[in-house]
Amino acid sequence: MGLIIVTVLVRILETMFVAGAIGSVVVLVLSGIEDLKLLFGREGQNHS
Amino acid sequence: MSSFGPTSPSNRVRIVVATSVMLTFISYWRAAAIVLNDLASSAFYACGIAEQAVGKSAPWFIVAVMLFSFAVRAVYVESCSMFVRGGVYRVVKEALGGTLAKLSVSALMFDYILTGPISGVSAGQYIVGLINETFITADIHGWIPRAVHNLFHGTPHLNVNMTSVVFALAVTVYYWWENTKGIQESSEKALRVMQITTVMVVILLAWSALTLVKAGYNPVPLPVPQNLHFSKESLGFLGHSFPEQSLARMFGLLGILIAFGHSVLAMSGEESLAQVNRELAHPKLKNLKKAAIVIAIYSFVFTGLSALLSVMLIPDAVRVPVYKDNLISGLAMYMWGPLILRLIFRAFVVVVGFLILSGAVNTAIIGSNGVLNRVSEDGVLADWFRFPHRKYGTSSRIINMVVLLQILTILASRGDVYVLGEAYAFGVIWSFTFNSLSMLVLRFKYKGERGWKVPPNLTIGGTEIPIGLFSVMLVLLSTALINLATKSVATLAGVSFSAVFFVIFTISEHVNRKKHALAKEHMKDHFQLLQSDTVDRGSLGIRPGNVLVPVRDYNTLNHLRWVLEHTDTREQDVVVMTARVSQFGTAAYGLSSEQVFSDYEQTLFTRAVSVAESVGKRISLLVVPARDPWSAIAQTAHNLESSAVSAGISSKMSAAEQAFALGSAWEAIPEPKKQFVLQIVKPEGIVDTFRIGPHTPTMKNEDVALLHRLWLNVTREPGLENVHHHDILTEALTRFAHDYGTHDHENIVKELRRHGTESGPLPVRRIADQIHTVQPEPTHPDRDDGPHSPKE
Repeated sequence: MGLIIVTVLVRILETMFVAGAIGSVVVLVLSGIEDLKLLFGREGQNHS
Repeated sequence: MSSFGPTSPSNRVRIVVATSVMLTFISYWRAAAIVLNDLASSAFYACGIAEQAVGKSAPWFIVAVMLFSFAVRAVYVESCSMFVRGGVYRVVKEALGGTLAKLSVSALMFDYILTGPISGVSAGQYIVGLINETFITADIHGWIPRAVHNLFHGTPHLNVNMTSVVFALAVTVYYWWENTKGIQESSEKALRVMQITTVMVVILLAWSALTLVKAGYNPVPLPVPQNLHFSKESLGFLGHSFPEQSLARMFGLLGILIAFGHSVLAMSGEESLAQVNRELAHPKLKNLKKAAIVIAIYSFVFTGLSALLSVMLIPDAVRVPVYKDNLISGLAMYMWGPLILRLIFRAFVVVVGFLILSGAVNTAIIGSNGVLNRVSEDGVLADWFRFPHRKYGTSSRIINMVVLLQILTILASRGDVYVLGEAYAFGVIWSFTFNSLSMLVLRFKYKGERGWKVPPNLTIGGTEIPIGLFSVMLVLLSTALINLATKSVATLAGVSFSAVFFVIFTISEHVNRKKHALAKEHMKDHFQLLQSDTVDRGSLGIRPGNVLVPVRDYNTLNHLRWVLEHTDTREQDVVVMTARVSQFGTAAYGLSSEQVFSDYEQTLFTRAVSVAESVGKRISLLVVPARDPWSAIAQTAHNLESSAVSAGISSKMSAAEQAFALGSAWEAIPEPKKQFVLQIVKPEGIVDTFRIGPHTPTMKNEDVALLHRLWLNVTREPGLENVHHHDILTEALTRFAHDYGTHDHENIVKELRRHGTESGPLPVRRIADQIHTVQPEPTHPDRDDGPHSPKE
């Protein structure tokens, strides 16, 4: 029983981590493109 | 106009409280340098700690953490675009309320308290490693005297951990004293340290590339579960629960997550970005983004690549056993090339390590002080902690508490960098997690201005879903949770520490609430606080040409008495100001009166009003929050169009040094600006007067005589009969400026130094020449037979 709970908790953590990591790669790419535009003087607008 | 007066509610003393800190702004390069002094210092120990925990594939996790730090940086940029001081405390308080804000700031304090010891001990490890290596080399060459050899029963050797503890204590005590004295953190110094570090990084990378080509390399095992070799300590509580099972094999991805959690301290220091944000020059958001790019790229290149190179170039037999706590030194020793060059480079690495790591010790004290001042301003920490040092005016009680905790941590660690690093990660990951979680909540809760958002954001049915922010939060939260299970030392130490701080904050806040209610009543009876976003004459109701009197210690108000006795206040207004020194990291804009006007200011102004009452003259009162008191005085004098600033003599600076400090602050004010006079009033009533800004210098009699002789000679030349004294001076200065700027620079500097040595220490002489003024009046016509000072 204990192992099942641990397994479920571990799977939740793993899912969080993997989903977050994939999303973070997208953040990295998109903000990287913005950074390059900023560095080369073609900054876009991203205001609320 | 504000004035002293009876304390009836209808005629209370008006005090203008400026609610914006008077800051001197810095470029994004300098801001990046300040943050990198903290962030890049982790390159010196992060990989060694990670490899001990997860094995030889640790560098890939360091690289992953450094890439992920780009995303964490994006969260900080968004928070700073919402709040000028967008650090953890402010963001969590806005999103999740005071209780969780206190909890998150407790975790942040744990991070800052640990930054000092880990940096100090790590610097000690690098230095002792070099000393021991030098002993070995010297012994091989027979340079160690036999007596010394016998004393140590072999090659002399220092106990690495204990010596590192002594070194860390020495550095901490040194910076404790510097911070108590109130030495301002200099962005110039941070920039210099980063320039030297950059030279080291460039040499390191170039030489490593050459070594890879010439000598080959060890492959770094890929970060897959079968390549992870956790030590028993690195599994923490899981190691106790599953002693016979390989968790990495049971749950493949879990192993990756555990390894990632053990590498996360490589990105410690991101919080400093929020702290320097308020000092960034206009355009703030653009400069913040630029600073963030510089920081992310630099730390990725330095920390990430040096971690990979250390495993590629240092043999397995020595990497962990010998160089685990000074990996970059090990890297220097395994470069391709002659031993002597490698030793020289290692010494350079140690010097750079010493500079950046001991700088991080200072940053830790400043950061902790800033955070505690910030919460203290909000009434979360008792006013007692903010009471200024009697002599130096700094928040020495907070500094003492922080340094005491750091010293206890250093002693408890016994110089073990691994233990310190494991514990350090707790504060790092939880402060980031609280920050990202709060930012996520604020996406739905906060309706104010937001300059930038973490991408991508998907809008479905009019509701924006912050996918990027949510993703970053998921990684941070999962890492923080797994670290709770795998880092037993960190969990026990971090939770205990945070709990103790949380209890202190909660009790303090409760006590303060009662006390502030009473103080508010008292304040209502005596003072009327008028908030003003900026300092100007209108808000004070005063005329131009007024006298500004800075005050700090309520026991030394002699200079105020002197000013009042020598000023006709019907003709000239007297403004008494105090600068509430707002530490690095504290709030910058939109401060409440309570944040700026504490018990101390109340006592100070009560005394000032008593002095004014005893002389029978009117004064205006002003409180200005400031990062640097000299900048605050210079900017206030400028804004109020003061003709004079009258200050008391400082206990730690001479009158000339005070004038130099104010002169330097005046130089930083943008044009157009007016000159004013600085009067330093000594206790015995003697007044030293200085003119701040460009002015006619004091000329010695022999210089005037020389000028006159030259003029006589020149006017004898055909066609030059109408040349004036000032023409000679103009020509001489033009030639001097040309020579100084070109070929003769070194000789001029040498000559000035020689003069300085002959007629007293150069700094004093230079100060005197630059700003001490006895303004010679041009009383003679230019065509005069006798020598005289030239006209302006």
